[in-house]
Amino acid sequence: MASINLRNVSLDYPLYGAYDYSLKRRLLGHLIREQGGMRIIRAVDNITIEAEAGARIGLAGPNGSGKSTLLRLIAGVYPPSSGNVAIKGNIVPLLGLNAGVNLDFVAEDNIALLLRISGRKPTRAIIDEIWAFTELEERMQRLPLRMFSSGMLMRVLFATATAFPADILLLDEWLSVVDENFSAKAQARLLKLVSQAAIVIIASHDQPLLRRTCSTIINLDHGRVASTVAVEPPAAHPFELREIRA
Amino acid sequence: MTPVSEPTRPSVLHIFKVYYPDLFGGTLTVIRDICASLKDAFASAVLVCSKSAEERRDIVVDDVAVERVQSFGDVLSLPAAPTYPWRLWRKIAQHDLLALHAPFPLADLVFAFGLARKRPLVVHWHADIVTHAGLRWFIEPLMRRTLRQAAAIIVSDRVLVDTTPLLREFADKCHVVPFGIDTTKYDWPRIEPEHVNDRGRLVLACGRLVPYKGFEVLIRAAQGWNFEVWIIGEGTERAPLEQLIAELGVGDRVRLLGSVPDCERVKLMCIADVFAMPSVTNAETFGLVQLEAMAAGRPVVNTALDTAVPHVARDGIEAITVPPGDAAALGNAIDSLIRDPERRRRMGLAARTRAATRYSATAFKNGMETVYAQALAQASAASTSSSATPGWLEMIRIAGALAWSDMRHRYVRSLLGPFWMSLQMAIVVAVLGSVIGQMSNAGVLARLPMLALSMTAWTFLNSVVLDATTALQGSASLIRDRALPPVIFLLQCTFRQALFALHNACVPLILWLVLTPRDLSHALAALPGLLLFIACTFALSLVLGAMATRYRDLKPIIESSLMLGFLSSPVIWSSEMINHRSTIMRINPLTHLFAVWREPLAGGHVDTISIFYVLACLAVLMLASWLTLVHLRKAAFWI
Repeated sequence: MASINLRNVSLDYPLYGAYDYSLKRRLLGHLIREQGGMRIIRAVDNITIEAEAGARIGLAGPNGSGKSTLLRLIAGVYPPSSGNVAIKGNIVPLLGLNAGVNLDFVAEDNIALLLRISGRKPTRAIIDEIWAFTELEERMQRLPLRMFSSGMLMRVLFATATAFPADILLLDEWLSVVDENFSAKAQARLLKLVSQAAIVIIASHDQPLLRRTCSTIINLDHGRVASTVAVEPPAAHPFELREIRA
Repeated sequence: MTPVSEPTRPSVLHIFKVYYPDLFGGTLTVIRDICASLKDAFASAVLVCSKSAEERRDIVVDDVAVERVQSFGDVLSLPAAPTYPWRLWRKIAQHDLLALHAPFPLADLVFAFGLARKRPLVVHWHADIVTHAGLRWFIEPLMRRTLRQAAAIIVSDRVLVDTTPLLREFADKCHVVPFGIDTTKYDWPRIEPEHVNDRGRLVLACGRLVPYKGFEVLIRAAQGWNFEVWIIGEGTERAPLEQLIAELGVGDRVRLLGSVPDCERVKLMCIADVFAMPSVTNAETFGLVQLEAMAAGRPVVNTALDTAVPHVARDGIEAITVPPGDAAALGNAIDSLIRDPERRRRMGLAARTRAATRYSATAFKNGMETVYAQALAQASAASTSSSATPGWLEMIRIAGALAWSDMRHRYVRSLLGPFWMSLQMAIVVAVLGSVIGQMSNAGVLARLPMLALSMTAWTFLNSVVLDATTALQGSASLIRDRALPPVIFLLQCTFRQALFALHNACVPLILWLVLTPRDLSHALAALPGLLLFIACTFALSLVLGAMATRYRDLKPIIESSLMLGFLSSPVIWSSEMINHRSTIMRINPLTHLFAVWREPLAGGHVDTISIFYVLACLAVLMLASWLTLVHLRKAAFWI
């Protein structure tokens, strides 16, 4: 069973300036006993989150409030500076859309590589299924991604990333990037993915989106939990979906 | 009948340089008191150094298991016990909590290298390093790393945090737990006001006979006045102190009592008129003996150090505080107390009250227990965390897929793909071969396959290391957005270059097929050496790749070092070409790294020295790689 358990988690993010990358500088600094002036910001400050299967958590807050950093911390990118992180279940972090794409490769190969990176074996059938979702022409599969427009590229990447269900899904500003025509379908797929995943955490500025998809919204401010809002189960939700599909 | 099993107590390992029965002293009393007072909540064990460890390694002192590590004497106030870090490292896993009694740089070595991360650490800060201040530049970074790892730092007084720069950095971790004392032990004989001042002129001091205790000052102070001085304790300064006593002619009034059993010491404390603590450096952080004297209701004369000393017994209330090292002021203060029995009585009562209230044993026990329990709770919370990182097999699979796609990328851009590089290699070999042919007249053609193979191997090593220096930055988005472990991308470098090396290997293969008699058995004999070569290359790239990502200025250094390595190793030339094997060549690990597979391939035998050298290099690299892997968790911050 999937679960996320963060207890009093803090993350001190070291901001490496130009000098902090220098070994010579650092060694010299020790010799001349220069007081090391490395700046550290507390990107996540004493946050406690408990999520069992079925949780839909939205992270809201202004830029720099620690939403992405918190997601990365849960994904295991950053080790916590203090506190306790216990996570059960396989995590699919969909944080940056472009990660792992090689524009020189043809679309097909990119999809295969992206699937391999997330630990899936790419078969013809899976790739075709993903391609069908993009609604792009069949022959474009054999074109290098460099020749795709940004909207088309998004479709390919989105279709690939959301092809498989996950226990724990971490999403960072995903819907805003998908173009207008595609977004209804993308939303439907994302909602389906969300409904299949045990735990979903979405970071977004889009309050209506969060209200639609999440059961809890956590407002972050300067790395701290400013407030936690429980969203009433939206009765309109299934109807809304139907409207979009119609 | 089976005994009802108690709930197991968490075990605490106390780490210090020395323990009973090898020495007596304030710090040891503290450790013993902690062990004794927490015995209901924690099972204690002690790991220390001892010169007599050879006879009895494991002993039991006051129901506490003490393991002793052989020490060969003291160097710079530290026991020379080379095996201590190793033994400490082995013991760590057996305990739930580590209590380091600082300063003890030998143990800092273990903590600084992150070998004890699995267990929570509490640092008891007893004193700063005062005596060998010249070594600070080396020891301070170690101590800082230890403190950074500590869950809590325990100090005996707030003033230590304020006056010690190193502690100020970790002020939020510092807990003030004043030492405690059980005053009932000092009820013998019952302290009556009239009992004080029976003799009227006995001054007692107590402590190891070491310079910082300032007994020399006390002896000098005794010269001008008429009081008696008894000094309890043993130590290295005994001979100089005896000589001083003789020189000053105070032998009739100043006595060095040597070591005295605990109960005798209590008695002496109770019959003394004044207790003197003339310590001269900040190595005296608290002065547990003055607290004992206070418990015995004695007025104290102490010194105005920057530590807790003048705060425990305060000037004018429980003590007279004089400047450290000032014999005249010390003598004056003692004499003023000797002359004034009423003031002595008043101060003695105040001292006993302060000892019983401010420094009670119960408060000490509770304070320690709280800090230990908190550290344990934090750790048990942190240890249950399990990150969902993929296993090694999965990582290798991903790295392989990435490397394979890199190689295909080359074919996308051109039909020949990596064979372009092989072509280049063939040209280099041809040119080099002809040049070397000019230099030495031995059969050039026969040497060409080996030259080509050496160049292929060198190109592999060179490119793996160079690729690794930029690999993590190049894959920043995969690390940060897809949460892939950074080590994958360092593996990818090795895999990718191995694929390219297979392409390049066509050149030596063709030359070999054309130019030399074919003997496959030699190729098989070279395989283990080749595997060693690849393993070393990967480990080197792992270490250098991570370091070059953290410290960007390393990349040019690595580049030029590789160039230097290429020129100074027998890659394009062989050792026979030079008349004798030079020292540099024999020290150069690359020489041996090439020798372990080239010699068997050429049908010769590998020097045992070469094998050992390569294995030693591999061991060092493995250790470094392991440390790197530990630190690679933080790689996402660097890129």
